[in-house]
Amino acid sequence: MQRLSVTRRRMLAGVAGGAALLPAPAVLGKATSKYAGTTIRGAAFSLPFHQYLSTYFPEFEKETGIKVAFDIEAFPIYNQRMDLELSTGGSSYDVIIVTFIYQGKWIGAGWVTDLDEFTKDPNVTPASWDPVDFVPGVEASMRDAKGHTYAYGVEAGAMLLYAGRADLIDRAGLALPTTMDEVLKVCAAVHGKAGVAAWTADKLHHWNWPPYLEASGGRVFRDAPKDLMPLLDTPPAVASAAWYAGLLKTYGPPGVLSFTDDQALHSQLSGRANMRTNSITWGLPLAKDPSSTVAKTVRYGMVPGGPAGDFPGVACHGFGIPKGSKKKGAAWEFIKWALSKEMLLRVVKEHGYPSVCRRSVIESEVFKETLTLNGQDVAALYLKVLDQLGDGAYMRYRTVPVFPAVGDKINRAIDAIATGQQTAPVAMKEAEAQAIEAIRMGGYKIGR
Amino acid sequence: MSLAVAAAARPRAAKRERLARQRRRFLVWCLAPTLGVLMAVTLLPILYLVATSFTPLDPTNPATAWNFSRPLLNYRLMLSDGRFGNSLWVQAKLSFWTVGLQMLIGIGFALLLNLRSGMLKALRTLFLVPMVLPPIVVGIIWKVLYTPDISPAFWAFKALGWKVATPITSATWALPSIILADTWEWFPLTMLMVLAALQTVPEEILDAARVDGARIWQATLYVVLPYVRGTLMVAGLFRLIDSIKAFPLIYLLTDGGPGSVTEVTNYYAFEQAFNFSYVGYASAITVVLVTVSLALSWLIVRLTGWGADE
Repeated sequence: MQRLSVTRRRMLAGVAGGAALLPAPAVLGKATSKYAGTTIRGAAFSLPFHQYLSTYFPEFEKETGIKVAFDIEAFPIYNQRMDLELSTGGSSYDVIIVTFIYQGKWIGAGWVTDLDEFTKDPNVTPASWDPVDFVPGVEASMRDAKGHTYAYGVEAGAMLLYAGRADLIDRAGLALPTTMDEVLKVCAAVHGKAGVAAWTADKLHHWNWPPYLEASGGRVFRDAPKDLMPLLDTPPAVASAAWYAGLLKTYGPPGVLSFTDDQALHSQLSGRANMRTNSITWGLPLAKDPSSTVAKTVRYGMVPGGPAGDFPGVACHGFGIPKGSKKKGAAWEFIKWALSKEMLLRVVKEHGYPSVCRRSVIESEVFKETLTLNGQDVAALYLKVLDQLGDGAYMRYRTVPVFPAVGDKINRAIDAIATGQQTAPVAMKEAEAQAIEAIRMGGYKIGR
Repeated sequence: MSLAVAAAARPRAAKRERLARQRRRFLVWCLAPTLGVLMAVTLLPILYLVATSFTPLDPTNPATAWNFSRPLLNYRLMLSDGRFGNSLWVQAKLSFWTVGLQMLIGIGFALLLNLRSGMLKALRTLFLVPMVLPPIVVGIIWKVLYTPDISPAFWAFKALGWKVATPITSATWALPSIILADTWEWFPLTMLMVLAALQTVPEEILDAARVDGARIWQATLYVVLPYVRGTLMVAGLFRLIDSIKAFPLIYLLTDGGPGSVTEVTNYYAFEQAFNFSYVGYASAITVVLVTVSLALSWLIVRLTGWGADE
């Protein structure tokens, strides 16, 4: 048997040959980030923005050498999983969507990272990234009491009214409703015409109903976040709950109480339902989606108001970094890239994304062109809603930690009224009692 | 002589006893790791659950962990919580109807499939399909059937000119629609158990019944069913315990609604823990559920005589 003699020359040649056979890292010689070679894991619920952004991931990977892997879930599943992940201090994810409804809870509990440590360091974030460019009302819920920012807006779901079959309203000699009274009048005039239900909605009543509660002069809490006494059984709350439940019951398509967002959208896209108030994100496909049967008849308006004014909902979801993440630096590189002015302009231009949170982008010509839908300047409506939001005061009810529990009581009460199980006063009184109990269970002191 | 024998036997008996003691000790040591693991994986989580139920644990507030200052608060709250009471009532209705229907349909199909027919034998596998489907798939099937826009059933109703309410959003029909879907999914289990038992019924006693002039229905009622009574009892109680764990269909089809008409206790505990973070209260609800399940398990053992000496 011949013995192989191992010399230094042979060994070096072998190592060099072996290395040549291995695939070269994709970023070799290209990556500029000190995090090159890192893989970050992200989590989000199904958002159009994420869908558009993911088409640019290869560019980010090439630019920085950071690999990106995202888990996408349905909205309720995502929230439950993330709630569990964050509450256990998990390190599975490096970038997450800080959901609007959970912002008070997640930020208040200290489960997400203070992003000021990145934005205030010029070596990490150049001044041109301009964090103050994000609309203040949008960012308000993503800051703590000291003004520290924990997430940057990905989507400002500004609520608008959109009527897929505005032609039916025209034919009835009416205009898009601007008040709650007009909503009933228009619905009565067009319901069932050409087989189209007058109104549609998804089953998240605690998002869809509060604008009408506030327009009627009511509030969810007495003065959130300072005073969390719920006000669900006040006369305006009872009247607006009866109004909203009646709207769904009388003018909704069959099964409307079980509709998810997708189903509500589909009912409009297919021309089976006419009007809906929700985030602009769900209204855009009516004009732009190739499958839309109402692209030529859709029209947009402000959310109908009431005696106390109009209060269109704005839900602002943002990108944040979990406290438990072990790759915070790389995660910030991703957020910085994803929410830069340049990237947002591209997403608007190339995909028609409507829910941008940067003012410079919203005021750009590109945005205006993109949001000219069926000849209508919807960008102006969007800006109007964001300006109306101001510092976000009237939406604060939504970001207090106990809102998920209180929102559940609202959902069930509206359901009970719409299905005739209870009258509005009884259902709302019960919702109030349960909400008080839930808030007290959360450790908050409240009283009449 | 006898004293000498007794004296000789004494060391032998002592040796036997020592050996038996050693064997027992050896067996205990052999079993110890298994028992330890078993305790760790079953008993400890339950103990933790019980301990948590005495605290107001809310993960958003670290001070609530291991706070035993008001240990019975959650249980007191449960007594005044109308939604918890309602969830128990919904649970009782759901269990009553699903178990009843699954038993009746399961026994009926088992009796049919027990007939000596080639075609019926071939159908057995087909009937088992719902049971082996993942619960999520079952949920999706029924969601499609119950959703007017996409349901073939609703297309047919529309074609016939019938106006049918959407069952999952109707206060009257939401619970029956869950009962129907659950029955469809699980009657094959009772069918399978009863069928297996039917095949153990001796031909001789059936022959004897025939000789005595019994008709088929009489032989079934007075001979076959009493013979498989034990299996029927087990099947029924298994389904009863399982019905307490109802979750996927409710989550997928109705979300506990409309209002709270399909909100069972299990689902209510899930909401408290995972939607509102009231883990302490959810634990207390779960402790009540575990207690009910344990009581039912005890009942199974008592009624069927498992573990009793023959």
